[in-house]
Formats: sequence, C-alpha cells, structure tokens
Amino acid sequence: MAILEEPIKKVFEVKNYIGGEWVKSEGEVIDVVNPATCQTIGKVPISTRDEINAAVDAAKEAFPDWRRTPPLARVRCLFRLKELMEENFEELSRIQTMEHGKTIDESRGETRRGIENVEVATGIPSLGMGYNLEDIAAGIDEYVIRQPIGVFGIIGPFNFPFMVPLWFAPYAVATGNCIIIKPSSEDPISQAKIAELVEEAGFPPGVWNIVNGGRTVVSGMLDHPGIAGICFVGSTSVAKIIYQRCGETGKRVIAQGGAKNFVLIMPDADVARTIPALMTSFFGNTGQRCLSGANLVIVGKDDEFYNCSVSATVDAATKIIVGYGLDESVQMGPLRDKSKKERVTRYVEKGIEEGAKLKLDGRKINLAGDWPDTCFLGPTVFEDVTPDMTIGKEEIFGPVMSIMRVENLDEAIDLIHTNPFGNAASIFTSSGKWAREFQYRVQCGNIGVNIGIVAPMAFFPFSGMKDSFFGTLHGQGMEAIRFFTESKVVIQRWF
Amino acid sequence: MEEPNPTASAIIGFAGRLEDNSSKFYEMLAEKFPDEREIFLVFAKESEKNKMLVTRTYQETITDAIEACFSFKGLNLCHYLVETKLTKDTSYPEALKMAMELEKKASGFYSDVAEKSKPLLATIPKAFEKVATMRNKRNLKLKSLLDKVMA
Repeated sequence: MAILEEPIKKVFEVKNYIGGEWVKSEGEVIDVVNPATCQTIGKVPISTRDEINAAVDAAKEAFPDWRRTPPLARVRCLFRLKELMEENFEELSRIQTMEHGKTIDESRGETRRGIENVEVATGIPSLGMGYNLEDIAAGIDEYVIRQPIGVFGIIGPFNFPFMVPLWFAPYAVATGNCIIIKPSSEDPISQAKIAELVEEAGFPPGVWNIVNGGRTVVSGMLDHPGIAGICFVGSTSVAKIIYQRCGETGKRVIAQGGAKNFVLIMPDADVARTIPALMTSFFGNTGQRCLSGANLVIVGKDDEFYNCSVSATVDAATKIIVGYGLDESVQMGPLRDKSKKERVTRYVEKGIEEGAKLKLDGRKINLAGDWPDTCFLGPTVFEDVTPDMTIGKEEIFGPVMSIMRVENLDEAIDLIHTNPFGNAASIFTSSGKWAREFQYRVQCGNIGVNIGIVAPMAFFPFSGMKDSFFGTLHGQGMEAIRFFTESKVVIQRWF
Repeated sequence: MEEPNPTASAIIGFAGRLEDNSSKFYEMLAEKFPDEREIFLVFAKESEKNKMLVTRTYQETITDAIEACFSFKGLNLCHYLVETKLTKDTSYPEALKMAMELEKKASGFYSDVAEKSKPLLATIPKAFEKVATMRNKRNLKLKSLLDKVMA
C-alpha cells in the first residue's frame, strides 16, 4: 500500500504565537522526530520565563476588550475557525500522524473530536446564559451572571496533540477569557497549525497564545499571578504537583492524570462483538490513551468461556498490522519515541520476571514497510496477571494487555478498587442488572457498558476520579463553561 | 493466504480514486463521443459529488470504532479494479461496455462496503448504499444507450 503524501516537506520551525505575532524564542531548540521514520520533521523551542511572562502580558492586555466583545461576535471567530479546520482537515490529520505516530484513521478521529469541541463552544450565546428568579422577596429579584475570569494556561499532553487543548480552549475564549497553550514539546506542530488558523479566523491579538517549551513554561504559568487557572492533562505525578501549586496560588485547576483501566468480560457477553472493541480499547493509539484498556478481566468459572475469550483475543491481536500510520493498510503505529518504547519494553520484561504468561510478544513484530524499528512495539498480551504484579497495577501507556481472571462481579469490582487510578472502566455483558451494578459501584469517572473506549463527547464532561483527576469541574461541555466563568449573584430592588 | 483486512482509510482512499478515475473517464467519453456529451458530463459531475459525499460521511461520523483498528474484514479491493483505457480506435459500443463494467464493479464495491460497515453509524452504510444505487442506475442508462446503438 502506498504511503499518503506527507504534508510536512521540510523541517518545520515552530515559533511562539504571542499577542498575534509569530515570535522566535530565545530558548534552546530541540528536534521533533517522526517516530515511524525517525526523521526530524520540526524544531521546537524550549521557551524562557521571560517569554511566558510576555504571553501573559499580551493575554492580560487583550482580556478587557475581548470580554466586552458580544458573545455572538466571539463565536463568529469560532465558526470561522471550525470552517478552516474542516478545509484543512486532511493536512491537520496527517500532521498528527507524522508528529505522533498514530494511524491516519486515528488522526482523523482526533481531528473530528477536536472540531466537535469548537462546535459545542459556538453555542455560548445560549450555553453561557445565567439564570434568574423574580420576587425572591417583596419586589426583589435575584439572578446569576456568568462572567469571564481572565487568562488561563492550558498544558497539553503528547498523546493527543491536536484534540486535548481543544477540550478547554474553545470554551475559554467563547466565554470571554484569553488563553496560553503550552503544547507538548514532543509533538507541537498541530497546535502551531491551529494557531495559524486562529490567526486567519480573525481572533484579536492576545486572545489565543502559544508558548512552546517544558518545565520553565509550566512553572512560569503556575507562579504567575496573572494566570487565573490551569488546565492540565498528563501524568498523575505532575497532575498532583499542578493541583497543589494551583491551590497555593489560588488558581482554578483541572488536572487530569494517568490511568489503569479495567475491562470486564462477563460470561454472558457477546464475545464476537466484544473482541473488535477490545482491540480498539487496548491497542488503539498504540495504547497511549488515558482511556485505553489495560487489564482485561474475564469473569466466571466456565473454563471453556475463559479459554475461548483468551484465544479469540490473542488471535485478533496477532492480526493487527503495525507500521507507519500514513500507510493506509496499517492499524497500529509506533510509540511516540524511543524512550517510551524502552519503558514499555521494561514493563514486558518485568511481567515475564514476575511470572505472568506471555501469550503474544510485541517485541517480535513484522513491520508493514521498511521502517527503522526504533519506536515500534506490537500488541502484547499477558495471561495470569495478578493485581500485585507491576504490569497489573502501574500505568504502562503502551500496547500491553494484562489478562486476569475472577469468579464473579463482586470480585471484579473489588479488583478495580485495589487500583489507585479511577479514569475509566468497562463491562461487556448482556445483563442490565450487572451493567447497572457496575455503573453504580465502580469508582471511575468514565464508565462503559459494551464500549471499549469511554471517550465522552464534547457536550459531556471528560470525567475522572481518584488518582486520575484532581479538581472539581472537568473539561468539555457545560462543566468547562462553568470552570471558565465566575457565577456572580445579583440581588436587585428598585425603589 | 491472509484474509484481506483494509482499514477505513484504505476504503475511503479507494473510493476517492475510483470516483476520480470515473470522472476523468466520463469527461473523455464526452469529448470523444459528443452526441451523448451531456449524459457523460453529468456522470463526471456525479462522481465528483460521490467523492465528496463519501469523504464527508467518513470525516464527520468517525467514531472510536472506525478510528482505531476497525477494518473491512474480507474485502479484497483488487476485485473492484477495472481497466478504463480509451484509445483512438475505441468504438462507441466498446466504450459503453467499458463504462458498464466500471459501473458494475463500482456498484459492487459500494454495496459490499455498505454491508461491511453496518455495525458502524447508520449514516456510513447509507452513504455507500446511495452511491451504489446511483451507479446501478448509470449502468441501466448505459445499457439503454448500447441497446440503441445495437438496434
């Protein structure tokens, strides 16, 4: 199969976008590498403290006029941005594949999910309304106004370089705030491309800013008194720090961390329909999703059902074609970089060491195409995994499935609760009773019933619990609108 | 031999190329056989619209099922390839037969893809079915043109 045309033809020089200007950073520059081809496709700066400060100044300067801009005028910019994203849909998608490694189908899915958030945010003239009640006392009315707050920092992860900042950014600007996005320095080109479209869509200078970099930029955001709140998606260790620092400095915070998601197959599950969902769940995006399945729990005492489920799962995983995501025959791309592959490989070795049975070894793969195997790892399946094993409890963030077995639903739910994470959990069953029990009791933010990837749509919050989420309100939909606005209460009487 | 297992992207890519080729083919027919120019130009335009419909349907209804690991199991795209090379010696009946073969294969492709995509959102198989029906109708139209010539 031929490789789709690559949209990045020469090394892309990523710049900061501050106050409506493309600004070259004074900081050190690092390479952005295509993990499939190992070619350098971009150069990204690690911006300085002065540069994040300049972005905050620009955003603060833009805020008073932007908040006074009528919501309808604000969302016209978003409508134009949506149209530009549609026009550039294919280029935006292929860039994600080049800089992240995911397959072109996955990238197009990510582009669509990102655009959906822009679409939902265009509803601000209705969604941003407050509420009121007449005559709360004699001749007195009371009402709530939602007001923008100021400048927000958005810190994006590497695994969804296009979509995740859009869980927040469109809602923030639609409600009248200004933003500074720090994309992952591993794959910053998607956000640079979005900023080009933002500029074309006519957002006033300073409303939407991009500052590339690493810890210095993040610390700069956390320390700056001019930033009202932070949205972060990444690892739990960093999420905890961000949550704590925001608490100390009085900032609003949405901090989404890691995950270890359990997927249950009940004895009455429709196995034929479950298997494709499992492949998506465990191996989609090469397992680099906070919603990826990690532990597959097969429930019941029936050995035949167990053995059939395992063998159908391994069989399907064996057939997944691994290669460069711009090859349309490919179903799974590489891990984002060499160090991530090494990290996941260490988990595979640890699994063997601790006694889990390796049913499918992703370290031995036949790549589709002649690519360096630097970042590739195939689907890997372990059986006989216990919750105390490293691979059974820690977040691997790669294409590794750990199969566990329990006797009943109660045991399965207890198993889920032994894990500190609480991002997502799914059950495959034909029983409404079991499904309800699961939904009711499981302490995870996103619950799937016969769904492998519990990805909330843009008009629902992206939830999370326990060590997977730190904060109160979540990204996307109405919760994002509440996060980015202050509820001001007015009680009014006229003499 | 391994069962073919094309991805959604491969299917949409194939559909796009099929419609591009069809469009070019009918434009050439319109030029070569000006008596039926209008009909062939309509077909060419329809193919452009088909490509847009299929691409849009795919891009606007991608779900997690289609976005990762979903594939059209068992669909061998080689079965739907057809040679449509016109030479200066190609006669009108030969060209019509070639066009009918193209429509038959295209209709078969869209019907099979519609069938395979039934587990996905309904708009996806419906879009494929719509194009399959249109291409069937074209085949009937081409047959009537051929019958007229042969009569």
